[in-house]
Amino acid sequence: METHDDDDATTPPAGTPAGDSDPTTPAGDGTDPSEAPTTAGDAPTGGAAHSSPDPGPRRLYKSADDRMIAGVCAGIAEYFAIDAVIVRVIAVALVFAGGAGLLAYLAAWLLVPERDAGPSERPGRTATIVGAVALVLAVGAVTSFHGGPFGGWHWSGPFVSLVFLGLAGLGIWYLASGEHPSVGGARDVLRRAGFGLALLAVCGILALAGAWATAAGGGIVVAGVVIVAGLWLVAAAFVGGARWLILPALALALPAGVVSAANVNIDGGVGDREYRPVTASQVRDTYRLGIGRLVVDLRDADLAAGDRRLKVDLGVGQAVLVVPRDVCVTTAAKIGAGDVAFFGRDSGGVDVDWQEEHTAPAGTTRLVVDGDIGVGELAVTHEDPDRFANDHGGESPQPGNDACVGGARG
Amino acid sequence: MAPVDRRRPDLPSLVAGIAIVIFGAVLLLDRADVLTLRFAALGPLACAVAGAILLASGLVRRD
Repeated sequence: METHDDDDATTPPAGTPAGDSDPTTPAGDGTDPSEAPTTAGDAPTGGAAHSSPDPGPRRLYKSADDRMIAGVCAGIAEYFAIDAVIVRVIAVALVFAGGAGLLAYLAAWLLVPERDAGPSERPGRTATIVGAVALVLAVGAVTSFHGGPFGGWHWSGPFVSLVFLGLAGLGIWYLASGEHPSVGGARDVLRRAGFGLALLAVCGILALAGAWATAAGGGIVVAGVVIVAGLWLVAAAFVGGARWLILPALALALPAGVVSAANVNIDGGVGDREYRPVTASQVRDTYRLGIGRLVVDLRDADLAAGDRRLKVDLGVGQAVLVVPRDVCVTTAAKIGAGDVAFFGRDSGGVDVDWQEEHTAPAGTTRLVVDGDIGVGELAVTHEDPDRFANDHGGESPQPGNDACVGGARG
Repeated sequence: MAPVDRRRPDLPSLVAGIAIVIFGAVLLLDRADVLTLRFAALGPLACAVAGAILLASGLVRRD
């Protein structure tokens, strides 16, 4: 059962004139007859049903009528009876002052109730205290950011981070369960923050695990788990629902989808690989790497005349293919997300397809490159790979691929 | 007092479940090389899944 500490502690019983009469005094006993209870139901409260209700302490609410985001600034403006624009300007200024405005806004968003909130949605005293602490820390962060008396970010930074974490937990749990973050006592608020952070941690682990498993070749298993989670949700919908499962299922599915769309494959291992074959026989048909930098330098490989096919398969990272100047290069490359740099010309973005078909003069070598990069870059160049790593993307494109029929830069 | 329909399913769970099943099926078909999932399709698909879930949640809160 939810409790509302501040309501109980500060709000007098309905109909009781505050500080005016003893509620135990029988009605009509020397008092104005108009204050006598008119119904049996009113009698226990000792107040009159038709007397003007005591408004109680003035409360801060989010505005429902004048909201730009959540109605926090307008609610503060209503509380202080000033123009909401002034509060908004101050809030925006505080956002750029060490992020304090953002922290304060998040705290208010989560902890300040709506004006029309029912009794079960009103915040307890704990929420008020947490909100006040968040605001004080926000102000402390600003003053320390500007060299104030709080002794620098190292004093307030960890506390602000903890408050951010707690607010993040409350927000996530609110999204997952629908429980209002501010209702109840300290144990309820901490429980929600803890559940939210635990859910966030589980989602993070699931996201990493799903992405890694998909990239390592277990995509079918991951897809199966996602389908089972979806079917579980459908079945649970008819017996009360299982909304808590939505976030973990999405956390598993979406990163796996990104890995699938990028076609990332980390079978080839992790790290930097550099290959410098010195004979044509040492040149492999396929160079593969999971994550890292892959360099294939063919300048010393005396390639025979005719077509030589070469596949470059990289999951995440950069692949640099260095070719001799007397070799014509034709390329078909797919990049999930990243770019292709082909002798100084490049194309980037997502779903990058680079097709470049050239014909080599008779009696010369044509290198047919099949590039498959998940996330990262495929570079084809004549330059030294180390120099390329530092210089590419400069203003003057490097010349290249001049060995093809009809010139080079097709 | 209006009678409560106990058989009425939880809309967000139902919509999320269906959307996640569809998403998982697309993943499965991609991994099985039946279709090729690319970012051009993944982006709208992910937006549709998230949008459907948020829409269902919003409709329930309005009730």
